[in-house]
Amino acid sequence: MFSRHKTTPETASPDQREPGAPPQMRVPTDQNGTRTASRLTFNRSPDEAVRESVVMAKLQDLIAWGRKNSLWPLNFGLSCCYVEMATSLTSVYDIARFGAEVVRGTPRESDVLVVSGTVFIKVAPIIKRLYEQMLEPRWVISMGSCSNSGGMYDVYSVVQGVDTFLPVDVYMPGCPPPPHAFMECLLLLQQKVGHERRPLSWWFGPQDVQAPIVPSMRDRKREERRKQTESRPIDRLPRTDLTWRDR
Amino acid sequence: MSKNVGLLTQSVTETEIVPIIDALRRRFGANLTPQSTRDEMPTVWVAKDQIREVLRYLKAEIEKPYRMLYDISAIDERVHQARRDQPASDFTVFYRLLSTDRNADLRVKVPLIGNEPSIPTITDLWPNANWYERELWDMFGIRVDGHPHLRRILMPPTWIGHPLRKEHPARATEMGPFQLPEDKQEAEQAALEFQPEDWGMARSRENEDFLFLNLGPAHTGTHGILRLVCQLDGEEIIDIVPDIGYHHRAAEKMAERQTWHTFIPYTDRVDYLQGVLNELAYCSSVEKLAGIEVPDRVKVIRVMMSELFRLASHLVWYGTFAQDVGALSPVFYMFTDREKIFSIVEAICGGRMHPEWFRIGGVAQDLPDGWDKLVRQFLDDFPPRLNEYDKLVMQNPIFKSRTVGIGAYTLEDALDWGVTGPGLRACGLAWDLRKKRPYSGYEQFEFDVPTAANGDCYDRAVVRVEEMRQSLRIIEQCWKNMPSGPYKALHPLSTPPLKERTMHDIETLITHFLSVSWGPVMPPGEAEVPIEASKGNNSYYVISNGNSSPYRVRIRTPSFPHIQMVPFIARGHLLSDVLAILGSVDFVLSDVDR
Repeated sequence: MFSRHKTTPETASPDQREPGAPPQMRVPTDQNGTRTASRLTFNRSPDEAVRESVVMAKLQDLIAWGRKNSLWPLNFGLSCCYVEMATSLTSVYDIARFGAEVVRGTPRESDVLVVSGTVFIKVAPIIKRLYEQMLEPRWVISMGSCSNSGGMYDVYSVVQGVDTFLPVDVYMPGCPPPPHAFMECLLLLQQKVGHERRPLSWWFGPQDVQAPIVPSMRDRKREERRKQTESRPIDRLPRTDLTWRDR
Repeated sequence: MSKNVGLLTQSVTETEIVPIIDALRRRFGANLTPQSTRDEMPTVWVAKDQIREVLRYLKAEIEKPYRMLYDISAIDERVHQARRDQPASDFTVFYRLLSTDRNADLRVKVPLIGNEPSIPTITDLWPNANWYERELWDMFGIRVDGHPHLRRILMPPTWIGHPLRKEHPARATEMGPFQLPEDKQEAEQAALEFQPEDWGMARSRENEDFLFLNLGPAHTGTHGILRLVCQLDGEEIIDIVPDIGYHHRAAEKMAERQTWHTFIPYTDRVDYLQGVLNELAYCSSVEKLAGIEVPDRVKVIRVMMSELFRLASHLVWYGTFAQDVGALSPVFYMFTDREKIFSIVEAICGGRMHPEWFRIGGVAQDLPDGWDKLVRQFLDDFPPRLNEYDKLVMQNPIFKSRTVGIGAYTLEDALDWGVTGPGLRACGLAWDLRKKRPYSGYEQFEFDVPTAANGDCYDRAVVRVEEMRQSLRIIEQCWKNMPSGPYKALHPLSTPPLKERTMHDIETLITHFLSVSWGPVMPPGEAEVPIEASKGNNSYYVISNGNSSPYRVRIRTPSFPHIQMVPFIARGHLLSDVLAILGSVDFVLSDVDR
């Protein structure tokens, strides 16, 4: 029952569906791809009716899906990156869309530690203490170059990367990464969390955490990036997606 | 040592002597040596045994006194070659004084000989000397005799060595890989434990025991990694011991191994909310050192970008301050406006928080076509929203009851503690360097310097909000009157040098190549141009050895003295008022610890 690598026939491969989502939760569509679920029809087969209103899932999948969509970050900031992280909570970016707006003041209620900024030697023991106070399962996003590797601060007071003393799940480049980069990394973490399988009990099933192997984004994005051969001329304004200008 | 001082006096011509130094020499003897600097700030060398008398005289006795201790730091002079007319010294401690009555600065330097020098304390003259002197000990190992609590301030208590000494490694990678095993973790945590006795604090008084409450380093109300240990009687604050240094990014040491040009990105991160304002402070000082006069267009572009960043910084303050005292929604409005500013900044500079856009002698590139449309849109869009925020925050009865009469200090206190910026103007003194000592063409702009009278949390807010309106006025004038012309000075030390001129002959090509690969070589000397940053007066004291990187850069930031003052303001208030006070002071931890 709890062997996770078996793929049921109605489930597509994890890449084709929403990661971590229970298989039958896809919205029913017709051949043209329009939604049919909202259309109330009385002459459908009982089979269809059941499929529209009943969710079947393995407990493990359901838990992973729940975890993935409610990642609560710890309200902890180090430097510049934290301002960008906080910006992603506000209206323009609105990280509540991804269920991660529930910023917790205590590590004991949080799922994600976002190491947002420079990791100083003086503050490293405190970061570690906070991480240890978080309950499992817990994840770490390393936000910004300083936290990834020390970045531009190869200097006596700075730890050269938070991964020297913490396990990191997602590395986010940038100095500081803009809020949408934070959101992208949050989605990457969600993918990872959604595919993770953890033991349901201490006395049955496999006891190890089965984490997916996550490909490097550099490799995944390489093809797309190589297509871009022209850079924007600097004497013209870039196109931006902020809507306020069009008002 | 005094013999050296005497010898050097003769080499200085009388024409260089400015009135204040003349007055000092008449009173304290001719062994006070003046030094000529490129910023023409009066600079005088005083022997260690005279320093306290000289400073006391300058603060209390002289007509139109130097009321404010603006900065104290030191220079490790042991490998400093370009010290032509200066007394022999291994470590030079300098005191920067400011007189608001005279509108004048003064730099007093003390030569110290030997590897373990010491200097008498001046904490009895200025209360804010306390932290600066602790920093002297921490960074340079200069013992301060008579200091009440001479212990490390920026580095961890377990640190070995004094980082700003030249023999201390600069790079983390020189110091071996960082490890945090269990025992080290325990030891570091134990070293951070607060012992009231170390600070001369009682654990109890007659009928009650005090509670010592740790606020931070991980606390949402401290706006970053700041630790405040509060001594509480019930909810009443008896005293606070701030513990800083969790955000010490070593910008000053970093400057010593960057070129003059490549240090610019590091300045952005000193006060990470005010972006180009940091660059302006640094570039102004370096330009003074190099003798570069920037074109008019550069001046106006710089003013416009600086004011946009002042707005952005004040918006963060506005939203988070309201949030600190319990209003949760304003921050969403203010950050939305900040995004609008960033969309302009991004269109012009390509970056958001850290645009790294000013250059020595100019800016990185010309304004893009259509910038005026963007700025116009913002100028139309923002003022009505600002008025709306008045109703949302400033006139809100809860906000008022949390801030009016809370955390008040007088003008005297403000000058004593080295407060500048809105915190000083809220006490009634219209001290704004943009008006008092116009730089970057601010004399061409019409704007007012808002002040308030009570110096409490609410008045500090009033001043900042009004300042935002004035910033808008300035941006409006930039929008109307943007001059044409080059965006970089045609000076050989401007960075990076203009490419067009390289293709004429091999000599200019070589100069260009060297200037791009090595960076410019600045003439020996020192300069400092204070500017009005978003949180107060900010300046970069740059010292050149005639090399491609600075010999020493001292960054005077406004947040450092402001945080030092928090215990003084908060005593007698309730614990909840501390958060209102912190919010109203408006600091950035990277600006405190650098």
